[in-house]
Amino acid sequence: MSALASLEENIPSLRRYAWSLLRNASDADDLVQDCLVRALDKLGSLRAEGQLRPWLFAIMHNLYVNRWRHTKVRAEVSAQDAEAEVSMPPAQQASSEMRDIMRGLDTLPPDQRQVVLLVAVEGFEYAEVAAMLGVPIGTVMSRLSRARDRLRDFVEGRPQPILRRVK
Amino acid sequence: MMDQERPITDDDLHALVDGVLDAGRRPAVERHLAAHPEAAARVAAWQAVGASLREATEWKVREPVPARLDLARLLEARRRARSWQPARLAAGILVALAVGAGSGWMARGPSMPTGVAAVAMEAASVHRMFAAGAEYADPHDAAAMVELTSWLSRELGHPTRPPNLSKSGFHLVSGQLVATDQGPAGMYVYDGANGLRITLFMRPMKERDMNAPMRPMHGADTVGYVWARNGLGFGLVASTPMRTLHGLANQIRDDMGAQI
Repeated sequence: MSALASLEENIPSLRRYAWSLLRNASDADDLVQDCLVRALDKLGSLRAEGQLRPWLFAIMHNLYVNRWRHTKVRAEVSAQDAEAEVSMPPAQQASSEMRDIMRGLDTLPPDQRQVVLLVAVEGFEYAEVAAMLGVPIGTVMSRLSRARDRLRDFVEGRPQPILRRVK
Repeated sequence: MMDQERPITDDDLHALVDGVLDAGRRPAVERHLAAHPEAAARVAAWQAVGASLREATEWKVREPVPARLDLARLLEARRRARSWQPARLAAGILVALAVGAGSGWMARGPSMPTGVAAVAMEAASVHRMFAAGAEYADPHDAAAMVELTSWLSRELGHPTRPPNLSKSGFHLVSGQLVATDQGPAGMYVYDGANGLRITLFMRPMKERDMNAPMRPMHGADTVGYVWARNGLGFGLVASTPMRTLHGLANQIRDDMGAQI
């Protein structure tokens, strides 16, 4: 398969990841577009084609960190609005479970959100995520623990740790 | 076996959930879960959370990819941005020539200026028409800026950024490719305090003055400095005399040289 065809094959999952991070369809596709333009520019420098997918997500991560962090404010504001459903599938029966998990995701700090999405949704290996984010693997694992525990607390209706009373 | 005696950690539980737990480690982890219901509940919850996340985001991968993310379209846009477009520059050519002919530079002699003298004339014309004039177009045309930067990088043979003049109080407001009768040229426009606007003009030299020391230039209503280095000619132009202009020109000359 040509590098371009593999690139094309990854666009849907890049869109899913960008949307899950930013929770705004238009911002997400802006991010994907920037990522694709950058990838087309740098495609020649990619040595192993098997590395295309983590390479693409690494490009997207760098763009997100450098230029898109400010949009998380918007996502967090809309997440606080319990009725805001702009970023859920349109005309589709989004179950209450689906809404809950996405609201829970929105409460996570970006660092944790990235890791849990890359591992649990995009299926990357821990070492790949560490390389992509430029952090040690131990950092990936601790973020993953915090993210998974926090999402569990959220969907099981437990108060968030920050609000929990200490007896 | 050592591997089975090592205490069970979060890493083991994640590996189990993500299906990457080492086969030799699995019995120990399963014994641990059987003996610790809270750990087992945690693993089950993590699995459920992962399944919910995948389910809640699944629609996005199935959604048709919008046209603006079409690779063929992005490649075409990229190709267009990289190729020279005479049609887009036609208006610029006419403007530069007409103003150049009437600008007073012609009064000094019967022949057209060459070398950096021609660069000085073109820089003054471009400054007058595009930067100082009210008809100045879109100050934030990102596509034009990208086009200019990639052209300039090609001309210089290495990636190039517009000079950063912020320490001197000038910020970049726009950049674009323009045409002269000597071929394509680039211009960056900077704004400073008190509404001062300066133009940095650049174009490849033809045969003469491939390298030329900096010297002042004076037009009818422009002042500035002009020089050439490694086959690229530069003109820095303002509408009114500025004490800081010489320093800015020196900084730009050094900066454009240092980016190699």
